[in-house]
This record gives sequence, structure tokens and C-alpha cells, in this order.
Amino acid sequence: MRQMLPHILNGLAFGSLLFLVASGLTLAYGLMGALNLAHGAFYALGGYIAIHMISQYGLPYWGAAAVAMAMVAVLAVIFERVLLHRLLNDVLPQVVLTIGFAFLIADQILAFFGGRPIFPPRPPGLGGAVSIGVGTFPIFRLSLIVMAAAVYILLMIAIHRTKVGATIRAAVDDEPMARATGLPVPGLFMVTFGAGAALAAFAGVWGGGFTGLAPGLEFQVLLLSLVVVVVGGLGSVTGALVAAVIVGLLDQLGKVLFPGFALFTVYAPVALILAFRPQGLFGKAGRE
Amino acid sequence: MSSRRARPGVFENAAISGQAVRGLSVVVIVGVLALLPFALSSFNLGIATRILIFAMFGVAFNLVFGLGGMPSLGHAAFFGVGGYVIALGTTRWDWDTLTLAVVVLVASAALGFVFGALSCRAEGVYHLLLTLALAQAIWGLAFQQINITRGDHGITGLTRETIPFVGADRVSFYYFVLLCALGSTALLRLFVSSPVGRAIVGCREASSRMAAMGFRVVSYRISAYVVSAIFSGIAGALFAYHQRIVSPDNLAWTMSAVIFIMAILGGANSFYGPAIGATMLIVLESWVSMHTARWMSVLALVFMVVILFFPQGLVGLARRRRSRAAAERSLPDGITAAGAARSEARASSHAEDAE
Repeated sequence: MRQMLPHILNGLAFGSLLFLVASGLTLAYGLMGALNLAHGAFYALGGYIAIHMISQYGLPYWGAAAVAMAMVAVLAVIFERVLLHRLLNDVLPQVVLTIGFAFLIADQILAFFGGRPIFPPRPPGLGGAVSIGVGTFPIFRLSLIVMAAAVYILLMIAIHRTKVGATIRAAVDDEPMARATGLPVPGLFMVTFGAGAALAAFAGVWGGGFTGLAPGLEFQVLLLSLVVVVVGGLGSVTGALVAAVIVGLLDQLGKVLFPGFALFTVYAPVALILAFRPQGLFGKAGRE
Repeated sequence: MSSRRARPGVFENAAISGQAVRGLSVVVIVGVLALLPFALSSFNLGIATRILIFAMFGVAFNLVFGLGGMPSLGHAAFFGVGGYVIALGTTRWDWDTLTLAVVVLVASAALGFVFGALSCRAEGVYHLLLTLALAQAIWGLAFQQINITRGDHGITGLTRETIPFVGADRVSFYYFVLLCALGSTALLRLFVSSPVGRAIVGCREASSRMAAMGFRVVSYRISAYVVSAIFSGIAGALFAYHQRIVSPDNLAWTMSAVIFIMAILGGANSFYGPAIGATMLIVLESWVSMHTARWMSVLALVFMVVILFFPQGLVGLARRRRSRAAAERSLPDGITAAGAARSEARASSHAEDAE
């Protein structure tokens, strides 16, 4: 069991990465009924922009991360305002629109940055490793877990303890009534969507150091995040956290214990969970 | 369509001539398809073959999607497994043609049963994501079981010479695919208009009412999946012969997404809509990719524009034009504008009941 500790920590770190991406996805769905398959593209774009900022303009790590998050958030808000909001609560056309947008970004990234896998630099001061009894573990990966936990707590405070959070919850529960009482629901959509995209971009900058960035990789992250979102229950942040831990562990332990079945060990249990509990672990029944 | 035929007066003639036109257009299309090898270069004939395969895949997919109302994002599984059976059967196990055909049919039908049984109770976005997860599980197996599938490299070295009566040349393979596509389309058409096909539509439109009348909704949905999977598997097998390589790409979620997009852009509430969507997208892709390396960006923009402006797809667009014209013609007979709008809505939402 002690030999498994590094793998378990790896699984938790990967789950943390998935949570950062999935939380934006689940909020967008819970609030707007929007299934955003371009969310993985926001992840990749964040990582690539940060690399570009560091290598071309010599920005420090955190400055580059902030620029990447801001640029991706602006792009996402424009996408939401101009295109996506026309198809709210209409999932099938959303799939086509957001896949189209994802393909567009992926192709432009390929044109701009080429197809070779690259790694964003790691955050300064977090190199090195700590001893965990059976060897050492990179501090960078541990910090990913801490970061995900911090984001979760911040999200929970923002949603449950602030006025904006209260209006968002109101809009999630009963959108027509929220609109009728004068809440700025489209503005809330915009803020949530932009914040979710910024989180995904941050995951691309920070977590990109974990997985690397390469064409097509954002779709692997997207699909695993989607899995996290549905297993956790569409719209539930807590569900996303729990599911991210489960999926991260399934993924890493599957790779170690059953290498020939690595991806199967993630998707098959997920499919079974969904077949018997379609609303996910923390989902509200009845909302589609 | 039935509602249009039921209207009295001038529309009876319109319906008869409509049937004649439809019969004639089938003859013309089949004739043109049969003559294509004489007109196209070898390269373009390859594209035409691919169009036929994806048209067939699209029509089969739409049995679940448009007819059954179950949004599947997992059809790559059937398509890819059909391909892998051919690849493994011919290059590894030296199966004869009969064995290959039987295994393709049985494997895709069995997989269709599993998909249908697990996902038939999930609606909407849950159905979408559940089928996606199932297909990803199959993709993961193909990707990781390197000893059998050679993983990411795929299986190469397929030959068409093992197909009986078909040589290795492109023309005879084109005719073979054409025969398969026409035969499959005819069979699917029969299935759609059979009592089972009708019941599947009923389960889409009013599942609780169907259940109350004693129909077993779940079994009809599963049967839609099984039939759809069989023909998707055949299309995947043909695609394997066409490409002469089978890799996890055949099973990847992008393959499911492509057929999904083809069906929606062509028009999912029509029988032939997905075939039209497949034709349009493959022609566009081949043409654009001759001119720019960024053809994917162009295609992506087309997806986005079409879905925003013609959410019912190209067939839906043509229908709307036609029924609007019909509504205008009928106005003097005393049908109100509101009634015309209502029947237009009904015609578009129930369009393939009669198709």
C-alpha cells in the first residue's frame, strides 16, 4: 500500500487539474444549460498564450498567467454574447456550435504554434521535491492539489456567501422568476462563463506543466472533465470535486495496475454509474 | 408529409406529382451514381466512395438520432468495431469472407444492444454523455491493447482482394460500396416504415403514452440501436477496406462528432438528410483542403454559421421554403395565417413520420 502512495498522489494531482477545468463546465451548464465542448480549447489556449507571453515578451510567470486568463476570458465572453446565447437550453445545436468553435481554436493553435508537444514553465519557487516516506514527490504536483482545494473553497464562498453568488443560485433554481424580479441574468451568464473560461485557462497554464500541451490533448482533458461533470452531477461544484478525485484516481491507478486497460478503467465505470444513476452523484433529478 | 397529403383539393394533385417526382429523382440519382466512375478521376472516385460510406453511416445513425430521438455521441464505436473486425480478421486471423461478414454483423449488433440497453433510459444531454463515455471505453481498449490492435499505429496492410467478385481497383470497389449503400438504405427505409419503425417514432414523440398502450418502450429503443449499429458497423467495415488502415481514429469521439454534425447540418428530421449532410461536408472538405492547409478552420466556421442560421439543417431549410409557399397558396381558401404557421410547425416537427 505504501508503494501506491506516489500513484495516489499523482491521481489526486490529475484530479485537481480536472476539477479546475470541470468547475467552469459544470457552472456553465447549471446556470445556462450550456454544454460547452469548447471548454478544452480554453484550457489549451490559456497554456499556449502564457508560453507565448513568457518566451516572446519576457513576462514573469504570474504576469503571463494573468494575461492568458484575461485574454481567454474576453474571448469566451465574446463567444458567449455573440454566438452561444442564441442557443441557450438547446443542447444539440450547442454541441455543433461549440465543437465548431473548438475545432477552429485547435486549428488556429496548430497554425500558430505548430504540432510539437510543449511544456509551459512551472511556477517559480515550486521546483524540487518533498520526501513522502517511500521516495520523493514533486512539490509542483502537490501544489496542484492545494490549488484545487483553494479554488473549491473560494468558489464555495463566492457562491454561498456573496450577493453575486446568491443571485447566481437564484438564477440556477428558477431562471424565469429571477429574470422577472429584475436580476441581470444575461450579465450573470456572462460573468460565470468568463470566470469558468479563466479557470480553464489557468488550468492550462498551471496544469499544462503536468500534462504538456499538444494538438488533440485538450480534447482528452475536455472529455475527462465532461466525465467528471456528469458523474458529479451537472451543475454541482461539490459533485465535480468528488468526481474529479474519483476520475483522477481511476485514471492513474488504472495506468499502473492494468496498463492494457488504462482508459477503459475510467470510461467503463463512468458509463455504468451514468446508466444506473443518470443524474450523477450530486445532481438534482429532473433537470435536463 | 401525411398531413400534407391529407389536405383536400389542389393538394391531392400536388401529392401525386410529388410522388412521381420523388420516384423519378431516385432513378436519376441512382443512374448518376452508377455512371460516376466514367466521369470522375481516380482521386475523385475515392472521394465519391467515401461520401457513399458516410452517407450510409449517416442514415444508419439517424435511425437512433432523428427517428428515435436519442442523441448518441457514441456511434464511432460501431463504425470502428466494424473496421477493426475487418482489419484483424484479414491481416491476423485469415478469416474468409463469410466469417468476416458474420462477425461484423454480430459484433456490431451485440455492441448496439449493450449501448441501447444501458442508455435507453437516459434522456437528452445524459444520453449524449453516456454514449460518449461508452464509446470512449471501447476507444480506450483499442488504444491500449497494443498486442492486439497495435495501439496508436493502427493496423495496416488491408487488401480488398479478399472481397469476392471485387478486384483491387477503385472502380469495382466503388460499385461494391454503391451496392452496399443502396441495399442498406433500402433495408433501412423498409425498417423505418415497418410497424417497429413507427413504434420507435411513437416512443420518441410520446413515450409515456406508448408505454400506457402496452408498447415496451425500452425494447423499441434497443432495437433502434441494434439496427443502427449493424448498418454503422457495415459502413465502418467498408471504410476500413477503403482506407486500408484501421486505427483508434476510427473509434475516436471525433468520428461520433462528425456523423452527429453531418446529420444535424443535413437535416436530422428527414430520412435522407444525413446523407445530404455527409455529401456536402465531404465535398466541401475535399475542395477546401485543395486550396488551404487551414481547411479545418473553414469547416469549423461552416458548422457554426449553418447551425446558427439553419438549425433544422439543409433539408429543413428546403422544407420550410416549400411549406411556406404552400401556406401562401392556401391562404385564399380561408386557412388563417396562424393555422398555416401551425401546420408548418407540425410539418417540420413530424416530417419524417411519413418519410
